[in-house]
Amino acid sequence: MTDLNESLTRKRLAGFITRAAGARDATIVALERMSGGAVQENWALDVELDGELRRWVLRTDARAPVRESLTRAQEFAVLKVAHAANVLAPEPLYLCADPAVTGQQFFIMQRRPGVAAGHRVTRDPELVPDPARLARELAANLARLHRIKPPHPELGFLKTVLARDNIAHYRSYLDTLSRAYPVLEWGLRWCEIKAPASEETTFIHRDYRTGNYLVNDGHLAGLLDWEFPAFGNPLEDVGWMCARCWRFARPDLAVGGVAKLEDFIPEYERASGRHVSRTDLVYWQVMAHLRWAVIALQQVERHLSGADRSLELALTGHIIGQLELEILDLTEQT
Amino acid sequence: MNDRPDARELLQAARDAFTAEILPALAHELRYTGLMVANAMAIVQREIEAGDAAARAEWERLGKLFSKRPEPLAGDVLHGALASYNQRLANDIRAGRFDGRERAAMLENLRRTTEEKLAVSNPKALQGR
Repeated sequence: MTDLNESLTRKRLAGFITRAAGARDATIVALERMSGGAVQENWALDVELDGELRRWVLRTDARAPVRESLTRAQEFAVLKVAHAANVLAPEPLYLCADPAVTGQQFFIMQRRPGVAAGHRVTRDPELVPDPARLARELAANLARLHRIKPPHPELGFLKTVLARDNIAHYRSYLDTLSRAYPVLEWGLRWCEIKAPASEETTFIHRDYRTGNYLVNDGHLAGLLDWEFPAFGNPLEDVGWMCARCWRFARPDLAVGGVAKLEDFIPEYERASGRHVSRTDLVYWQVMAHLRWAVIALQQVERHLSGADRSLELALTGHIIGQLELEILDLTEQT
Repeated sequence: MNDRPDARELLQAARDAFTAEILPALAHELRYTGLMVANAMAIVQREIEAGDAAARAEWERLGKLFSKRPEPLAGDVLHGALASYNQRLANDIRAGRFDGRERAAMLENLRRTTEEKLAVSNPKALQGR
């Protein structure tokens, strides 16, 4: 963990903000680590810029970055493009690529009000008084995001991952492990057999789910966590949003534990002009569980290898069974 | 032979003390860690209680699936043998050798193995399905 509050670091940071904002004076009023983000750190940053209070978030690398995550500079570029496409996301403000300021790359973005924590959003009806409305907002926002298409001059660094690329990628990861995962192999084989003959390619977020968006006054207020985007099949994001592993306290509510499918899919179809069949949805729900299982295995590996020892990463190993059970349930339906 | 309480009993006592006395007294920012510690202890406890039974049942099923008559094994030998059978199963699934008639038997084995694993990892996930 970096300590941004070390007095020299804080001073250099204030200097950077003054220059980046073209201000006369920037005074850091508060700088505090926010919860969440095992991979990247978010700090709540309140600054008086020429006497006017600004509420921002400073986003910086943690010690051990995971594979497949973007650099902060790339994430900043993605946020700019998303923001310009009217996707609800924090507005990115200043990027600092110079490690001399804090020791790491970081950027500053607007701090939006609201609650993101999945266990609260799925449990507290006061936070989400009209779940169907929130689901429609999530659907319309996702459709806007999927309007960003490759090739894109600002996003040349993004990989393209379609269904078969995902399968090959997950298999090559499983091949590095010392034990076999037959259920995951079955899920991958099923996805291979049922892979779509042709796929549309758009910008995809790849972590569009409850826990990663802010809810404020019952409305969608912004999408967080832009670490894993790619170009790919837009239905991958739809499947991720509706996967059982992201329903927190309400596994009975298919759309992120907050709403029913019929509150989300028709609105997504209307706003995107794309048809989402039941078969498509199940396909990408299976893929979502495969992906989460692979990420969970990578997290366990970080603990087991000693690279990053933590009880939280260790316990991630014990969610694999739940993901496997869901893969079996979904693939036996069809 | 070790004295009583044995590993399982001692862990139970430690977990009871932890959840009854320490967890409620933890500061808010340590509560999540406290819950994870209690969860980890519960998993260990269930793993000790489950013993080798699930592994032996899995060994039987895999033997049938591969048309072998496996001899009864125990301990590390059993776990080593299971690992190599599961590697073979994984390879065969990937190669499409279970796409046809044997698919149902293969899936039945995977489901049982997953349920046995969850009985240790997270028994709540098996409820209400």
